[in-house]
Amino acid sequence: MPDLDHSGVAPKHASKQIGDSEPAAPSRRSVLRVAAGAGAAGIAATALSGVVGGMAAQASALKGTRPLSPEEASGTDPLIVHVRDAAAGEIDLFRGTTQTRLHDRDLAARLVRASQ
Amino acid sequence: MSSHREAPEISKDPVADSTDVYAFVSPDRPHTVTLIANYIPLQGPAGGPNFYQFGDHVRYAIHVDTHGHGEANITYEFDFSTDLADPNTFLYNTGPITSLTSANWNRKQRYSVTRVDGRGRHVLGSGLLCPPCNIGPLSTPHYAAALARPAIHRLSDGSRVFAGQRAEGFYVDLGSIFDLGNLRPFQNLNVFANGLAAAPGVNATKFLNVHSIAIQVPISRVTAPGRPVIGVWTTASRQRVMLRSADGAQDIQAGPFHQVSRLGNPLVNEVLIPIGTKDFWNTQHPVHDKQFAHFVAHPELAGLLPVLYPGVFPNLAALVKAKTPRADLEAILLTGIPKGIVPGFTNLTGPVQADMLRLNTSIPPASKPNILGLLGGDAAGFPNGRRVFDDVVSIELRAIAGLTFALVDSNYKVDAAAGQVTDGLTPADLGTPYLNHFPYLGVPYDGYDQPAH
Repeated sequence: MPDLDHSGVAPKHASKQIGDSEPAAPSRRSVLRVAAGAGAAGIAATALSGVVGGMAAQASALKGTRPLSPEEASGTDPLIVHVRDAAAGEIDLFRGTTQTRLHDRDLAARLVRASQ
Repeated sequence: MSSHREAPEISKDPVADSTDVYAFVSPDRPHTVTLIANYIPLQGPAGGPNFYQFGDHVRYAIHVDTHGHGEANITYEFDFSTDLADPNTFLYNTGPITSLTSANWNRKQRYSVTRVDGRGRHVLGSGLLCPPCNIGPLSTPHYAAALARPAIHRLSDGSRVFAGQRAEGFYVDLGSIFDLGNLRPFQNLNVFANGLAAAPGVNATKFLNVHSIAIQVPISRVTAPGRPVIGVWTTASRQRVMLRSADGAQDIQAGPFHQVSRLGNPLVNEVLIPIGTKDFWNTQHPVHDKQFAHFVAHPELAGLLPVLYPGVFPNLAALVKAKTPRADLEAILLTGIPKGIVPGFTNLTGPVQADMLRLNTSIPPASKPNILGLLGGDAAGFPNGRRVFDDVVSIELRAIAGLTFALVDSNYKVDAAAGQVTDGLTPADLGTPYLNHFPYLGVPYDGYDQPAH
């Protein structure tokens, strides 16, 4: 799992693996900030180019915890994550010409914290 | 304008800004229809060194509704890519471009054409070259014969296609119209005229270019059996996300394509849709146009004409005051004209209100076309589709002024001026003629000769 700050959007201290520990609850301040932005542009899109495998792992974690297969991990298209509504846990994943919506409050909270 | 820079957001994205759509039975090949979608408005011919080109990240489409439901049954998609031969020069061309394969042409653009229909996606052509922009006699000599004509490609299904720069064929007196709705031929009557005398129109698009996507298709390929009327519109779409690169690499595009521009009938989004709704209108599909029907039934311009020209449109003023829905405009722009309104003519697609150009393909090309189309007794012209030379400004001005309301209410007395209102232009005001063959729009102006000395 590469560091989140490879793309310059998160501080080094936020670069722990996603999905291997219980998330801390988002602060009221961060939730309010994100929720206030949701609906128009949401928070700024969080670019995680280079962490495709990790995010895909998290997405698959919604169905289970199996690791990525080599085929799944070999994708080269950048993945862009948009925390659309952190309070509701709405996260959009943009990759290639697809858009996938996740509903995961814990993941949304950790992304918000990582961006601070 | 027809749809040039018509909405606040799309005006900032000119490569995705649709300007005009044309759909007509090809006069020289009447077993075919020609569909043209124009983009990138108001090009100054001398606009180098990075001369105009289509957007590599824009998905352009021409849609055809064969069943009158406001949805596309057939879509032609056009996707472009650019080849840069030498990134170490600032030049578009390093010598005369004498052919489409010239090594002197540094920045070529290619495209693919994909037909999407009920049987799936079919790539009809790929790697097709656009012509270069028309730069000048040293760079692009013999432009029409050596560069434009070879850029007409035959597709795998027998259709023909062209994508590239053309002379703007839409003529309009923008400078006057956007100056408080002024019409020079009648400006002596304008409430703000302050002594101005009537004057001829001035074609604001003269000597400007545009980029055209033109496809000529057998009628049988775009109609359903027994349904000769088709609806046509264009859209431009971009992927939902664009991430600017911070390290000189390519920007990242991701996500599904999202419609940012559309155009069916000329001037609808330009003139009828209010400014706060225009960009939203651009994102919508025609099938959902019932939500905008109010703006067609009660056009703001119909209320402005009697104010701008006091005493000239008294019957129109009464019509507006009575808040009478304009069933004539709804038919012309949203459903097509049913049988029995204009003798021998219909382009009705059904009850679904949808902004599309409606072309009855069973009506042959006119031997003596009238630029006023159906208003001029020529059923082969707008609003039966739209030909490149149709005077859509005058036609729609007259319709909005009430001329066509008498078709749906025989008791309505048309104001005398409604049949005469115009911005005062004809194709004679173009700087170069239309072609009498595909792609019909004229050879683009070159930057050496235009602006003229």
